Amino acid sequence: MLFNSLDFAIFLPIVFILYWFVVNKSIKNQNILLLIASYVFYGWWDWRFLSLIVFSSLVDYIVGLRLSKTDVKRKRQFLLFISVFVNIGFLGFFKYYNFFLDSFVSAFSLFGHDINPHGLNIILPVGISFYTFQTLSYSIDIYKKKFAPTDDIIAFFAFVSFFPQLVAGPIERASNLLPQFLNARKYDNALFSFGVKQILWGYFLKVVVADRAGIYVDAVFNNVHNHGGLSFLAAIVFFAFQVYGDFAGYSYIAIGTAKLFGFRLMRNFNRPNFAASCGEFWKRWHISLSTWFRDYLYIPLGGNRVKKPRWLFNIFITFVISGLWHGADWTFVIWGGLNGIYLIVEILLVGKGKKGWYNVLITFILINFSRIFFRGNSLSDSLYIIKTIFTNPGKLYIGFGDDVIAPVYAVIAIILLLIVEAKKEYFNSLFTVSHNKSELVRMSAYAMLAFIILFLGVFGDNQFIYFQF
Amino acid sequence: MVKNEYKISAIKLAKFVLIFLAIDFIFGFAAKQLFFSQKTGKYARITYSIEEASPDILIFGSSLANRHYVPEVIEKGLGLTCYNAGVQGRGLIFHTALEKMILERATPKLIILNVNQNWMYKSETAYDGLNDFVPYYWDYRKILKPLLSLNTKMIDYTLLFQAYQTNSTIVHAIKYFFSPQIDYKGYRPMYGQMMPPETPVSSKGQKEIPEVGELDTDFIETLKSFIASAQAKNIDLIFVVAPLVEEVDFSKSTSLIVMKTIAARESIPFFDFSNDTTYKYKYDLFADPNHLNNQGAHIFSQAMVDSIKVDSLFDLAHR
Repeated sequence: MLFNSLDFAIFLPIVFILYWFVVNKSIKNQNILLLIASYVFYGWWDWRFLSLIVFSSLVDYIVGLRLSKTDVKRKRQFLLFISVFVNIGFLGFFKYYNFFLDSFVSAFSLFGHDINPHGLNIILPVGISFYTFQTLSYSIDIYKKKFAPTDDIIAFFAFVSFFPQLVAGPIERASNLLPQFLNARKYDNALFSFGVKQILWGYFLKVVVADRAGIYVDAVFNNVHNHGGLSFLAAIVFFAFQVYGDFAGYSYIAIGTAKLFGFRLMRNFNRPNFAASCGEFWKRWHISLSTWFRDYLYIPLGGNRVKKPRWLFNIFITFVISGLWHGADWTFVIWGGLNGIYLIVEILLVGKGKKGWYNVLITFILINFSRIFFRGNSLSDSLYIIKTIFTNPGKLYIGFGDDVIAPVYAVIAIILLLIVEAKKEYFNSLFTVSHNKSELVRMSAYAMLAFIILFLGVFGDNQFIYFQF
Repeated sequence: MVKNEYKISAIKLAKFVLIFLAIDFIFGFAAKQLFFSQKTGKYARITYSIEEASPDILIFGSSLANRHYVPEVIEKGLGLTCYNAGVQGRGLIFHTALEKMILERATPKLIILNVNQNWMYKSETAYDGLNDFVPYYWDYRKILKPLLSLNTKMIDYTLLFQAYQTNSTIVHAIKYFFSPQIDYKGYRPMYGQMMPPETPVSSKGQKEIPEVGELDTDFIETLKSFIASAQAKNIDLIFVVAPLVEEVDFSKSTSLIVMKTIAARESIPFFDFSNDTTYKYKYDLFADPNHLNNQGAHIFSQAMVDSIKVDSLFDLAHR
């Protein structure tokens, strides 16, 4: 079920009313309702893949309980191995089987050996990269004795499949989210109100910013040979806001929706377009994933508490694997690798002094240069785009016929977004609309936001980009 | 205590909805006024076609209609009034809806539908532009609901709000307010001449073979529906394929074959100018490979008049 669909518009109020007015007397009943709602939400795409979530949840539930009952190191390691094997195994099979197969075939053909393997027609289950990482972190934290397991199976299953963040995050840690399923939730108007505001902002980011920018991006990236360098540059800038609006939009809607049910999810984006270095960018972008990789890959590899060459290697390999997490294609590996190199160069060459607007601009350029590989339909397309930018500026594509003004809407949306975010970034204490003392001002601002969503938004059941990951 | 919190939320939500409805009404009303006050541009032409135009001859089709049919030439040649309702970048589904909306009010004597050779093939872009009809939704809901629902199931709900009724139209309205777009009874000429390619993609005698797609039964039914609407009001129909600058072999185009078969079955004249020698490799008559320039459009419109006259197809003047 998509957040921007009629199905969800009907689904959410029903679940909300049942949750607060019918089963509100018992935490267990509330959790059962959330579990059923989450499975309905997920099964709306393809009910068959629910079995993966159920199995993954069951394995980690059992592993968690068993881990807490033994101190024998080898036994604990074996239990952790089961959890990692099942979760990474699902991910590996559904997401990477064909990728690795194709890569092996290509590697062998380089040495003159032609092999004909059996590729499989595998459908990627929506959100598998997100919920496997979430449930995996539960087992790892228990293994590391950072967290005690729960024996409440309903609460645990509801934690793994919590519908607001099930398919595209934020990737929650058990230490933050699971206790919220175990404790009573009290209806709080302030939380409800905050949730509604975040949902509205999320929809603005998705249907106004992302989907508007996406029209231009698709027109250029899907027909690379018909465009010149100027159009590619424009499309890259539009894509910067499309991918941000799309993913941050989803996160805001998820976080806001969770608040309607009394849950607080972690912040996933912190105005990343204003980052003054690549290192800072990754502290502001997809925070739940960045911190996941930091805690479960980078630090176990040694983090920065090793010799410098090894430290830099740890950064690089973390980003390469993060790239692979985003998609089973060499374009994503290169994208991840490039970002790793940016950080290494920053560590080696750039000081920690005061940073100005030009640092923000350089960071924006570097991050979005790497995204040519992220968005490019293939490696050859991405390389062609880079070559064309430097060799053939061509004519700037501005649409076709009467649709020539279509990109203007994307520009308007981006300007609105930048005004709001620049104000929060640089002048947060100067004045406030969203937290104004006057209720009328606050409500009018959000009512205006709702008007803009309807007035400028794209309404066509558009998918969210991060669903493919 | 909790009940109090519910109450506060309910009151706040009600206040928010009221403020939103007020904003929606005020700004939405203003946007709608601006939309329907447009004098030139795409929306002004669509509005005129739907609400005012009642010519003897009405032309439908994409840019190949809008840029090719000169009503002035047709009027002079046939002694009948004519309006070019073609809309750039819009396909059969769009024009079928437009035809039905116009025929609710007007009854022309003849409809010329300029068909694109690939209209019967499956295509995502065939649904492009249906949102152009959103401002007219509540007046033509019966016609438009099935079409606009193809884009979103939420159409009835989103269109309850004034804001959505003029979604994505404001820039268009402002642009053509400050920079009017000239048209001649709907016809929008293209100027300039195409430069002959230094190394032609398809030199003379070598026909380009277009890609053959998969037929879409929905589009076939849409074409039948277009015909049925005209026939229900006893309106004559002509289907036309516009000229192209280079030679193209459409013999394997199942889309074109289907359209010709349907036309033959319904006794609708089908003029195929795609490989007409009058235009072949005459780069001076084209603004780009697909579109005639103003000079070419005048020649083509005269050819249309001659075809109708020579074939004595219709006794339009006396109906």
